[in-house]
Amino acid sequence: MSTSATNAESFFLRHEFAIRRMHSLLGIVPLGLYMVIHLTTNASLLNAPETFQRAVFMIHSPGKLLPLIEWGFIFAPLVFHAGLGVWISKTGKLNSQQYRYASNRRYTWQRVTGIIALVYLFFHILHLHGWFHADFWLAIVRPVGFGSFRPYNAASSLVAAMQGFVWPTFYLVGVLACVYHLANGLWTSGITWGLWISPTAQARATKICTAIGIGLAVVGVSAWWAAVSPGEKEIIEWRQVEDRMYEVGVEAGIVAEDEHKRYEEQDMGELPAS
Amino acid sequence: MIALDPESAKRPEFIKVRIRRQDAPGQEPYWELHQIPYEPELNVISVLQRIAAQAKTLDGKAVPPVAWDCGCLEEVCGSCTMQINGRVRQSCSALVDRLLEDNDDEIVLEPMSKFPVVRDLVVDRQRLFRSLKRVKAWVPVDSYYDMGPGERQLRAKQEQNYPLSECMSCGCCVEACPQYTKIELKQKDGESDEAFEARKNEAFDEAFVGPNAISQAMLFNNHPTGKALASERMDALTGAGGIQACGNAQNCVAVCPKEIPLTTSIARAGRAATVHVIKKWFEK
Repeated sequence: MSTSATNAESFFLRHEFAIRRMHSLLGIVPLGLYMVIHLTTNASLLNAPETFQRAVFMIHSPGKLLPLIEWGFIFAPLVFHAGLGVWISKTGKLNSQQYRYASNRRYTWQRVTGIIALVYLFFHILHLHGWFHADFWLAIVRPVGFGSFRPYNAASSLVAAMQGFVWPTFYLVGVLACVYHLANGLWTSGITWGLWISPTAQARATKICTAIGIGLAVVGVSAWWAAVSPGEKEIIEWRQVEDRMYEVGVEAGIVAEDEHKRYEEQDMGELPAS
Repeated sequence: MIALDPESAKRPEFIKVRIRRQDAPGQEPYWELHQIPYEPELNVISVLQRIAAQAKTLDGKAVPPVAWDCGCLEEVCGSCTMQINGRVRQSCSALVDRLLEDNDDEIVLEPMSKFPVVRDLVVDRQRLFRSLKRVKAWVPVDSYYDMGPGERQLRAKQEQNYPLSECMSCGCCVEACPQYTKIELKQKDGESDEAFEARKNEAFDEAFVGPNAISQAMLFNNHPTGKALASERMDALTGAGGIQACGNAQNCVAVCPKEIPLTTSIARAGRAATVHVIKKWFEK
């Protein structure tokens, strides 16, 4: 009798079905869709810094509304998906060492890559975006090398942040974990929602999801390579290209004037001075 | 074909059997090594019979006979289910000569890990049967009135249902399922049997219902008379511990001794749950 507030009455258990389905849906839309757009945009840098900068200008065109879009459609769903994902991975007890079936291994990997993706995305967002753009916060994180992406100097600031060995390795592992998690998550969600039912249909879906995964991995590695392969020479060259695009863009009224989104020499002291 | 060739050099003189024993519920398990002379065409049950008759470990120590469960001895009752060489299956249909082909060193016997151990290899599978009650895995007919002839069942439907009806509630699927975790409660001091029973059922009812119950729900939702309760079954499957707790590891279908298409049932339940919840939402 002392346990009157039993679990059966808890909010979570009463709505477990809806919460889990929400987790499944958010993983695809917006998160999965966003990831595809993100990786494709970044891979466009392989063409030229101008291509990438144009895309970033377009992404930043909502101006003051951008944080709302970021938090509403990316960060909030991500925090929900990640938080619930950790809980989900704790409800199961991995046994792919005992029952060595391919689908059981995929189950284990879905949880492993989910945790990797969680750690990776936390630091990825901190590293380039900074999570928050309040001045006092940026004053803390920027000197230690976080929040280092400058949207109006997109390619040059990205490349500058991706020098060395540690960050590129971290990003490669992180991106591939995210790609696996999406491709396999797509396959399991098809069963969850009842899209592919029979073993034949599921086998067909496996082929399609594998193809999507491989395709996305190619795009992801291209995006990664586009960011890690250029060196200091390109940083200086591309910064001039971006500055030119910014000035012309502002004059034409295509780009909103915002000095905060540009490269500033003083807070990137460790980088090559032009 | 089944027994090892008498001429074969691989044919052993003795069979070593390592057993994970436990004296009573909640006590510490321990390992014991037994040995019996080789005979052709043994199954694990006959091995256990010889071990019980001998009641002596390999070191010659006299021990209480190993306890196990069995019933039909033809793989249709499910009561002799245990972990044999790390894989869950029925011990009556586990043929020793086949086991020795895979591992001629020893046979390892463990109780199922997802149910409370009663003693040695005997487990309490109450939760498994509770899950069948949760999803109302029956046809609601009390034979009180003559309701006339039943609805005609199409051949295709019969063929879809028959494999699902083969389930013997052995528990292999839940044993191999990574999302199904053990619930073992202890009766408190002064707690009545009824109160303990209620507490257990409450714990069972909010935990994962398991592949077997999901499949049975699909069987009876597909039955001409059973479908009268379809909506109630879907309420149970979309409640706490329902279909959403499935992680799609698909071990259930791989270990099912009756080769029941459990993952097909799970996907069908997923689709039915999607429709059921949306319908309910707009009918409120």
